[in-house]
Amino acid sequence: MTRYIVQRLLLLPFLLLVYSFVIFVIIQAPPGDFLTAYVATLSASGTSISAEQVDALRHTYGLDQPFVVQYLYWLRNLLSGNLGISLEYQRPNAELIGAQLGLTVALAVMSFVLTWLIAVPAGIYSATHQRSVIDHVLTVINYVGVATPNFMLALILMWIAFAYFGISVTGLFSPDYADAPWSVARVVDLMKHIWLPAVVLGIAGTARLTRIMRANLLDELNKPYVVTARAKGLREWRLVLRYPVRLALNPLISTIGWYLPQLFSGSLIVATVMNLPNIGPLLLRALINQDMYLAGAILLIYSFLTIVGTLLSDIALAMMDPRIRMEA
Amino acid sequence: MLRIATPIALLATLLFAFAQPVAAQATKYHEAPALADQVKAGKLPPVEQRLPEQPLVVPVVEKIGEYGGVWRRAFLGPADANNYVRVAYDGLFRFTPDGAEIEPKIAAGAKSSADYKEWTILLRKGARWSDGAPFTADDIVFWYKDVLLNKDLTSSLPSWVRNADGTAAKVEKLDDYTVRFTYDRPATLFLSEAANQDGSDMSYAMFLPAHYLKKFHPAYTPKEEVDRLAQAASFKAWNELFLARATPAQNPERPTMAAWMPVTRVSDPVFTIRRNPYYIGVDKEGNQLPYIDEVRFTYFADQQALNLAAIAGDFDMQARHIQMTNYPVFKDQEKTGKYRVIVWPTFGGSDAVIALNTTYTADPAIGKLMATKDFRVALSYAINRDEIKESVFLGLGEARQAVPAPWHPYFPGKEWAAKYTEFDRDKANKMLDALGLTKRDGQGIRLMENGKAATIEISVVPAFGAWPDVAQLVAKDWEAVGIKTVVQIRERALHFNMRTANQLMAEIWNEDTTAFPFTGGAKFDVRNTLGTLTIGPLYSKWLTTGGKEGVEPIEPLKRVMQLIDTARSVGHDGQVQAAQELFRIWADNVFEIGTIGLTPMVQGVVVINSKFHNVPMTIGNDWPLRTPGNARTEQFFFSK
Repeated sequence: MTRYIVQRLLLLPFLLLVYSFVIFVIIQAPPGDFLTAYVATLSASGTSISAEQVDALRHTYGLDQPFVVQYLYWLRNLLSGNLGISLEYQRPNAELIGAQLGLTVALAVMSFVLTWLIAVPAGIYSATHQRSVIDHVLTVINYVGVATPNFMLALILMWIAFAYFGISVTGLFSPDYADAPWSVARVVDLMKHIWLPAVVLGIAGTARLTRIMRANLLDELNKPYVVTARAKGLREWRLVLRYPVRLALNPLISTIGWYLPQLFSGSLIVATVMNLPNIGPLLLRALINQDMYLAGAILLIYSFLTIVGTLLSDIALAMMDPRIRMEA
Repeated sequence: MLRIATPIALLATLLFAFAQPVAAQATKYHEAPALADQVKAGKLPPVEQRLPEQPLVVPVVEKIGEYGGVWRRAFLGPADANNYVRVAYDGLFRFTPDGAEIEPKIAAGAKSSADYKEWTILLRKGARWSDGAPFTADDIVFWYKDVLLNKDLTSSLPSWVRNADGTAAKVEKLDDYTVRFTYDRPATLFLSEAANQDGSDMSYAMFLPAHYLKKFHPAYTPKEEVDRLAQAASFKAWNELFLARATPAQNPERPTMAAWMPVTRVSDPVFTIRRNPYYIGVDKEGNQLPYIDEVRFTYFADQQALNLAAIAGDFDMQARHIQMTNYPVFKDQEKTGKYRVIVWPTFGGSDAVIALNTTYTADPAIGKLMATKDFRVALSYAINRDEIKESVFLGLGEARQAVPAPWHPYFPGKEWAAKYTEFDRDKANKMLDALGLTKRDGQGIRLMENGKAATIEISVVPAFGAWPDVAQLVAKDWEAVGIKTVVQIRERALHFNMRTANQLMAEIWNEDTTAFPFTGGAKFDVRNTLGTLTIGPLYSKWLTTGGKEGVEPIEPLKRVMQLIDTARSVGHDGQVQAAQELFRIWADNVFEIGTIGLTPMVQGVVVINSKFHNVPMTIGNDWPLRTPGNARTEQFFFSK
């Protein structure tokens, strides 16, 4: 087992090197560069900039250098632990990502907890009360939840909030607290705003998880050991929670490592629509504006977390299910 | 009626400014309560010592204002820094609200020699940067010597400082408050250009805080030290660091001359600019400006979310990013009493023009047609502009070609603005028949000389919201006269790249440079490669390669270039003549097919808090005017 983990870890730097090249190629694949996108942005806001100004900027930022030179420059920085400077923000990428990280993770953890808190009990109830009225109601809600794109849901909720309550629910803070230092009042303000995006983000996951939980549990409930336990007089709830539920949770727990990159990425479209200050919109902007060093830094961290997350999932699975272990 | 005066006519005004006595009683200045407290605490010198000997006296729109308040605005992130530039409008000179004249702002005035080859700028004695350091001729000389003439900072000279032979004009300090520019050619557009040298911009303006920036420049600080600073801040080289430190939006430490100075960065979630205690302006009662304490730009990732917040009344005065399509919603919500909505139409031109590429080579048959004047005229007649006006522009504006507004001296006359804009399908069909496009295929589409169906692709970017709809309506009209039309909606950057690479057949954009045909990157000059509409990307190649590559500009376009060159060295009357001829050529040749103009499409729907005052009802609205900067933002105020 240890050898297996070490093997996988040794592969990591090599994989990241390959990824860094692929990422750089893909970010550079659209025609033009950061300044083309910048000029387009300016034109679309009724502003012009002279050719000389653009030439000067292109030269200053080194965008007139060949592709390989730009990549090697980036790589050299990466190897010395420097994620570089964002062309658009003119600030270190590490600082930009760091500034968004806290809220991104907070939001992801909240929607994750919400998902599990609702999905697991709902799934258990549905399975144990199969074909009851509530099961059917939950099923319909789940299908709608899975089928509705969550940015759509966000738009609808935002419209309702504005049309009926006269409040705009964009962002995670009221204007007064947006750039205030952390305080109890600011946390309260955050809590007032964060629940809506957390619900929106959690709903699709909840629906999916409930369905999985229900199906897994239904498989278990008909197994002979359940019948035996019941025949022996074990009380129903105690029985269900103690044995079949634990087994039914296994597939869910083994995928828990996949949440790692998701915690970091933030939900791109929902966050953009709801104007949430997290890493999703940061990445989207960086890609649209061809801010290659920032986009590259985010994607590289994302790749890293994906690799680590998969490894953690594998380890979790191996620990729970002896049949998967390499030595076996 | 607006009176438009070009720089020549302005001289009298500016000279007058020199002689003007201090309008406000020099001994009795007033200041904002917050600043008065700081003076009492000994943290700031008294207001009399902070103001120059002759402050700028700013006229107010409605009445003398009250101090205080936070002006809430929204922006779309660092690339939207011009949101702030337009509020700050930090220039030595600036355009007046109607865009008709240029007035001194930070500078006290300017005068030229009789042949316009020499320009003398006078600065205000006692003017100070926002950190209290004196603002003198050295700050302009620093820009000239160490930034403009430094190859690492300025790789190619901006055209406005170039002599006829391509070298840089001479800039010299005559005394602490006087600087002279000397050209080897008449520079009649000097002041218009100077009015666009903006200290808040991302590129270097003609005046920089030398005392602050010297520590980032190798001419004043040892190269190793500058390199060390660059490296410590993760920059590749010192010039990148210098640019970042010289840009106020990215560096709150950088002193500024504007009414408000940044206290956070444009890359922060809220970009805040606060009252500059040394701002050079006062109102006529001697109250130091600005009235408003702070401007806060809140970051929005998405324009729709921004509009939703604007509808809810979250901003105090904003036109930027407000979509014209939401105008009815704003009008409806006006009833709540939170805000009022006014419209500022565009400054001439046309708000959706279809530019046909006259040097299109990928399909020579259609390329030849698009280069034929009668073909373009026929397509102009084929468009039902009333329908576009009603369905896309909410009934606002008028059908017109891309010529200046009627009140502008460059306006060539009604008949040219309306040229070929009447909807006449029969005439269009007859003209197309006369071009030999008589054979049609099964769908009624005309066949070209190579036997293929005549097809035009209109590339459109949903930049100001409504253009894809315009394109669809135009496509329908053109198909009705037998020209197949494909509408292709493209992402911005891709569209721009295809434009430069001569891959666009036709596109829709707005023509918003009609008041400024001779300065900036006007779209009428085919030598401008950037920001040029796709009327012929290959012309500039022909000119730069001396005729080896590209396509030779056709006669009318050559004449346009001649006119632009002439205008740069003649007086006001000559400029008006040149401009009028330019627009007659432009309308007659329909290089761009104009649709509807003079609508509030571009930042023209202004949402204003009911307690926010001194905003003019009418104004020249354009980028070179830095609207709303030309409304003199420092005199805006909140009533209690």
